[in-house]
Amino acid sequence: MRDEPYRWIEAIQDRRDYIEDELRLGSPVVGVTYDEGMMLLTVSKGQRKIFEVHDRIALSAIGHPADIERLRMLVTDTASVQGFQNATEDINLHRLTNYTLAPAFKQAFEAIVGEAYIIKMLLAELGSTSGKDQFTGINFDGIVRTDPSFAVIGGTESIETGMQKYLTAAKTDTDRNLTTAFRLALETWAIGKELSSREPEETESEETQIDTTQMYKLIDTAREEGEIEVGVLETAQQGTSKFRLLTSEEIEEAL
Amino acid sequence: MHDKGDFLNLRGAGHQELALQGAINHKGDFLNLLKHANYPLKIEVPPETLRHGADIEIAHSTTVVAVLYRDGVMIAGDRRATAGTSVIYDRAEKVLQIDRHSALAISGSPAIAYEIARILEHSFQYFRRSQLQELSLEGKLRMLSRLIRENLSMALQGIGGVIPIFALYDLNASEDGNGGKIFFYDALGAHFENVDFATTGSGSIWIRGVLRYLSRFGETALHEMDQRQAAMTILRLLDIASEYDAATSGYNAKVEIFPTVKTVTRIGVNTLSDDDLAAWYAEAQPNAEE
Repeated sequence: MRDEPYRWIEAIQDRRDYIEDELRLGSPVVGVTYDEGMMLLTVSKGQRKIFEVHDRIALSAIGHPADIERLRMLVTDTASVQGFQNATEDINLHRLTNYTLAPAFKQAFEAIVGEAYIIKMLLAELGSTSGKDQFTGINFDGIVRTDPSFAVIGGTESIETGMQKYLTAAKTDTDRNLTTAFRLALETWAIGKELSSREPEETESEETQIDTTQMYKLIDTAREEGEIEVGVLETAQQGTSKFRLLTSEEIEEAL
Repeated sequence: MHDKGDFLNLRGAGHQELALQGAINHKGDFLNLLKHANYPLKIEVPPETLRHGADIEIAHSTTVVAVLYRDGVMIAGDRRATAGTSVIYDRAEKVLQIDRHSALAISGSPAIAYEIARILEHSFQYFRRSQLQELSLEGKLRMLSRLIRENLSMALQGIGGVIPIFALYDLNASEDGNGGKIFFYDALGAHFENVDFATTGSGSIWIRGVLRYLSRFGETALHEMDQRQAAMTILRLLDIASEYDAATSGYNAKVEIFPTVKTVTRIGVNTLSDDDLAAWYAEAQPNAEE
């Protein structure tokens, strides 16, 4: 196939379509910062989707559970060994994504005879000083995208665009606390969920607006089958590990 | 590309493949992961140097003590590090927090002890991160056993022996019960639960009897003491140890160096402040009433 570049490109495109199709219905993940840290939110069905990677790094993903687990372990192992051999302060997200994860994603994606990872990942790193927080998204093809204040992953690009629009509009409200950040992230999730339930052609349209009542109706329905999962990296957390999952009581209260 | 910026490891295998294997093999075992990454867990001592082992003066000797009190465990150590008859450091930290609910007090070779504490801390974190649950209390004890046993050859050579006290708080204990646990280890890694207290290090022989006396005949039983009473008892004990054991320091008034005293309770591990210790130390002296 190598001597036939056209067929190779075609095969890659087929693979891209296949993976996007598989990811399409995945429950989106929203990452936002707030005054005392940063948060990753999703609604999950049984399987846990938000994880602690290292002292200041959290991970979430949509895709095939086996692929998520394998790549989660890859980055957790790498960070753990490096953090031990050097110092935990020497671990940074940029290196983990660009030198460890992205090449693995790209390699699997382009080796068309092998299996591809069906995955989209979103990582969050709590900066050592304020203003240094960072979200990094990695697409299944190894493309890395970073953003300091918010980020989303959803089944398709148009779903993500719709969610980002909502977040950008709300961005003026800069002093978010845990509760307001939680609500913003949850509403953004609802938009992503709504978009993913539409037909592919419809998501392209401009009518992504849904009102708050609709959002919370959607959230209530989703909560019947799954539960809201929120992982936070808190600057105020005692000790070196800054990650924790919000308890169901805290989530109930924020609602 | 995969050299992790580690010059020593520049020729090592790519960690990515290692880690991918790891995802299948390690099962949350950090020691195994380190072995895969070619981390030297043991220091190889050439056999021809062995007969000089006894001549090498390695820094050790100390007094560390843990007491079960009302809220949990209070664990403390003096600050002196010695090599032979020389005092080489007077601010050594011999009580180390391992995770939110455990602390390790070390006596013996500091180099190995700090390494053990560090591996322990990272192992617990790795287990939690990879297996998505906290390592159990028994699992934590076993991990420390394993590390001590791995170190046996060094201990036998007389240059790297470590005898720790491990204090934990068992969160499964009932709300009104005391979840404080004190464990004592031998050089082979066997662990024993000490119900009331534990002490180790060269100064411990001078205070073990006192502790037994206090726990059996004391006015207030050790486990009924509040934080202040327990801290005063511990400061007095370290004072006694420092009087008889040259390798143990007491309170150094000239430079305000206090022993390290930590509490391990339901809330977590807390280090008592120098201000509190200064006040309690003054109170603990016999002429405090005047």
